[in-house]
Amino acid sequence: MTIDLEDPKLTAYALGELTDETERASVEALVSQSDDARRLVEEIRSTASLLRKELAAEPSIELTGIHRERIDRSLEKRARMGRFLSWTAAAAVVLFSVSIVWWWKLSHMPEVAEPEVAEPEARVSSYPTPPPPAAPAFVAPALTPGQKKGAVSGETEGGVPGGVAGGMGGGVVGGAPAAIESATMQELRSLGYIGYTAGAPSVPSPPEAYARYGYEGRNTDSLDVQRVRPPFHTEGYDRIDDNPFLGVGQNPLSTFSIDVDTASYANVRRFVSQSMLPPKDAVRIEEMVNYFDYDYPAPPEGQPFSVNVEIADAPWKPEHRLMRIGLKGTPLSLDDRPRLNLVFLLDVSGSMEPPDKLPLLKKAMRLLVDELRENDQVAIVVYAGASGMVLPRTSGDQKGVILDALDRLQAGGSTNGGAGIQLAYDHAVAHFIPGGTNRVVLATDGDFNVGVTSQGELTRLIEERAASGVFLSVLGFGMGNYKDSTLEKLADRGNGNYAYIDSLSEARKVLVREMGSTLVTIAKDVKIQIEFNPAEVESYRLIGYENRVLRAEDFNDDEKDAGEIGAGHTVTALYEIVPAGVPTDTPSVDPLKYQQSLAATQTASTGEILTVKLRYKEPDGETSKLLERPVRDEEKTYASATQDFKFAAAVASFGMILRDSPHKGNATFDGVLELAREGVGADRHGYRAEFLELARRAKSLREQ
Amino acid sequence: MNHRGRKTVHMSDASWIRSALERFEAPLTRYAFGITGDLERARDVVQDTFLRLCSESPARLDGRVAPWLFKVCRNRALDVRKKEARTLSLEDGRSESWESLDPLPSAELEAKEGMTRVVALLTTLPENQREVIRLKFQNELSYREISEITGLSTSNVGFLLHRGLRSLRELLQRDSRESSESVRPVRPLRSVP
Repeated sequence: MTIDLEDPKLTAYALGELTDETERASVEALVSQSDDARRLVEEIRSTASLLRKELAAEPSIELTGIHRERIDRSLEKRARMGRFLSWTAAAAVVLFSVSIVWWWKLSHMPEVAEPEVAEPEARVSSYPTPPPPAAPAFVAPALTPGQKKGAVSGETEGGVPGGVAGGMGGGVVGGAPAAIESATMQELRSLGYIGYTAGAPSVPSPPEAYARYGYEGRNTDSLDVQRVRPPFHTEGYDRIDDNPFLGVGQNPLSTFSIDVDTASYANVRRFVSQSMLPPKDAVRIEEMVNYFDYDYPAPPEGQPFSVNVEIADAPWKPEHRLMRIGLKGTPLSLDDRPRLNLVFLLDVSGSMEPPDKLPLLKKAMRLLVDELRENDQVAIVVYAGASGMVLPRTSGDQKGVILDALDRLQAGGSTNGGAGIQLAYDHAVAHFIPGGTNRVVLATDGDFNVGVTSQGELTRLIEERAASGVFLSVLGFGMGNYKDSTLEKLADRGNGNYAYIDSLSEARKVLVREMGSTLVTIAKDVKIQIEFNPAEVESYRLIGYENRVLRAEDFNDDEKDAGEIGAGHTVTALYEIVPAGVPTDTPSVDPLKYQQSLAATQTASTGEILTVKLRYKEPDGETSKLLERPVRDEEKTYASATQDFKFAAAVASFGMILRDSPHKGNATFDGVLELAREGVGADRHGYRAEFLELARRAKSLREQ
Repeated sequence: MNHRGRKTVHMSDASWIRSALERFEAPLTRYAFGITGDLERARDVVQDTFLRLCSESPARLDGRVAPWLFKVCRNRALDVRKKEARTLSLEDGRSESWESLDPLPSAELEAKEGMTRVVALLTTLPENQREVIRLKFQNELSYREISEITGLSTSNVGFLLHRGLRSLRELLQRDSRESSESVRPVRPLRSVP
């Protein structure tokens, strides 16, 4: 056999793909004789390894939560069908064998055809209706309300029973595969065209909106009952007034506690996906901005977080400047994460019954349980009318035991949160792991209606318990009687964080991907104080953090509680700054009668516009440490700002529009979309793409 | 009969699908993105691919999950692209509503920013060469698997890889000659023994 240098066999040989013995022998012979051939093989290999290296370094892209959600639902359906099948199949096997014997006796035919398992392509096309599910997430064709309702009920009610009927109807002999097929096809159809019920773009008429608000996906009778229900009457939100502009003359110091919660964003997303704009007070801008991860550099050795400042034009008011302060906690490789001592405190009261509450909670907890290791420990406390220990301390390798305990939970009764909280904390303290992560994970809709119900009493209880070194994570579930205000306060007082779980993909984000930042605290009581230089700044406004503002004196007071930062967490705060000389409408006060206003120091003329000061404590520390950093304005224009800056600005303007903030300037939904597009960046998990979708839908809701 | 019984036991166990999802989510999205040129479309395609996987039995795909996924993903992505091309030529322009299909800018950004030299050169190759190169070197699939995915014969796959690699080598060599004359540092591209 002759081989020349142009022969593809040389490439195949170089890549180890030449399987034919004779061919390989002849290439080997050529390579051993010819320098050219040898060099060529070397070159092919080095190009290949260069390609491998550089293609591996390409930024990775993943699915968005919405996509993941659909796959999860299909998997669940599959699991349900599987359970159903294990007995139909058993029955089918029996009947099948009986029929074989019978058939054999009748016809003496030696072979019975196995039920044909078709090619996947053929499967899809054998169904009469499905148009190809090309429609991406939110571009599903708008269905009329009637169609839509049919489709929804088809999904929720027809799903399994339809599959069952299909299984039976498919004949006993071929039963099993047919049943699977029809169930999955229904799932495919419903997913492709109805979507994520929450994801369809059609906007229901108000009564329907109320109905969906109550209990989505339940049977139609209850839909009718729910129809009269007004939208907000039992959800609790505290009033938020936007922070005002403050003149630097009277208010040179701005002090606040960091807030790592993300609940508000997920909650806003829930409203918009149900075709409603959220109530003003449900929109906490800092929680929306902090929902996203920003690419801040990791901190230097020996410091728990890095501090990053960027200043550019404020997009909604070009004569103002926008300052972004970003903190990034030391990332933690999952291998070195501390041991976990978790006490799940789960609300199983009657109000938790709807599918987006206890059932979703169980699934979310499963995700977390999957991540446990053998030296971790978990206990489960439930509370309803009475509280009780469902699972005493169990080590992380006994996953089956933990999951069984979760599976058995059922909703019923009224809610006495107070007693449960005491029990959970007592248990966490009794089995405290020094140097580990000791945490109560409270999952609830926040509707405490028995026992310690006054907010004051509850928060005091939590505050007392937080002193024991046990941290708190609050996971909010459900809708309708969701008590956002209570939950946020609990997390705030209990050295905790707070996330709203509206879907399994959100649970995955909070409990799996961001497990470090959710569960492992690396600094506590983190406070920020900014001193503005009156020579450079006329006035300023802290965007969001309304309920986190502290008094200037609180900054140096180590008794004052503040927010925690978790491993790898990013925290972002935005200030809108009016540079000196720009006219403002900040109300003025009369000059003081008995004292003169302070004179500028020499430092005032150095060009520094402000100094950022941070105080934090080590997770088990009692005294705070101080970080200080002077900041200059590099006169960056908006165009030269980083993508992260633009994206954070987009989220903040979106929040201001939803809140109808008096400071929103010329912010519009279109502006938000434009900013967010410029700021999307690599968006590995698709969260930013999801924000774009959210802003588009909010825009179309506002326009109606 | 045993065979069927075993299959149904596996049916309720979705963990192999979950692990396939973890393992192939990112590679498939990247692959679909290469075909559709649009990140959101690519994600939809990958979602559909996994939905399809949910109706498969593990026994049938035993050991062939990777080529199966890539094949289904490829067909779906090509369908979407074909459909898109048709829609665009019919509508002639984009609708103004938020339902419009403009690609996310991240797609364009990703296509230009942060590309290394080799990846940039790769874009100059014909699509079929580019595709097999990515399947081979990014996803570590064999000639046989690539043949299964693309429907080309293995010798055809070998030919495309051979041609593609040769073009890349030539481009890289020209590149390094040019850069050695300028101030840019020379990257060792040829490792001559």
